[in-house]
Amino acid sequence: MLLIHCPYCEEDRPEVEFVYGGEAHIARPLDPATLSDEEWEHYLYIRRNPRGRHHERWRHTHGCGRFFNAVRDTVSDRFEQTYKAGEPRK
Amino acid sequence: MSDVLAIPALAVAGTDLALEAQAVTASGVALTLEAPASRWSLRARTAQALSGVIGRAVPARIGETLDGIACLGPDEWLADLPAGTALPDGAGQPVSVVDISARGVVIRVEGAGAATVLSSGCPLDLDRFAVGRATRTVFETVEVILWRESATVFRVFVWRSFAPWLWHALKAAERG
Repeated sequence: MLLIHCPYCEEDRPEVEFVYGGEAHIARPLDPATLSDEEWEHYLYIRRNPRGRHHERWRHTHGCGRFFNAVRDTVSDRFEQTYKAGEPRK
Repeated sequence: MSDVLAIPALAVAGTDLALEAQAVTASGVALTLEAPASRWSLRARTAQALSGVIGRAVPARIGETLDGIACLGPDEWLADLPAGTALPDGAGQPVSVVDISARGVVIRVEGAGAATVLSSGCPLDLDRFAVGRATRTVFETVEVILWRESATVFRVFVWRSFAPWLWHALKAAERG
């Protein structure tokens, strides 16, 4: 089973306790009403979808309940590192 | 309070849930349904803030337990206290103190093979789950809170509607 390091629990925990939360570091526009349709579409739907190193959100749903960020290789499925939400991109 | 505490005993021992309240023993592992207790979900930004409101010491690190209170997350604690215990509600303060006595039940798994029985459905590495630790995790697809009381005693907190299934799954596991 894949083990994921939770930065809050500070433990390697089984993958089934976690839920994937999409690409990380996508900030919600501060004033959505001023956005054009294209900008809004970009915010909602356009993702990098890289082959390789990917920054993504995970939630330790069946554990501490917290969202955190992870860097995972989309080819090997290997987690490079995980870090707390709010910390700068690694 | 007494009304709330009466609910688990009635419903869980009832035939509709098909849960036997007595211990089941096979292969040296005993399953027991624990008596209702006073349980609380506690939320606060820091352990100190919570401690100040409820007037009890609370563990600061996730996974630790202290006098019936377990730290489940960076801002979440579970209190498992003797039936009838009341806690201050912290009105007006940035904390949440919620009585969840009727939310779930506790199944006690006891015996030399307790960890083996739980491992049939729980993906945690129980060899590294030290005595006195508690955490939320899963058993198969059911969310549970696991509390290790001693080397051979685990307490499994589970929501009421999942309890009959979990009980039978554990019974099946202990029969091998």
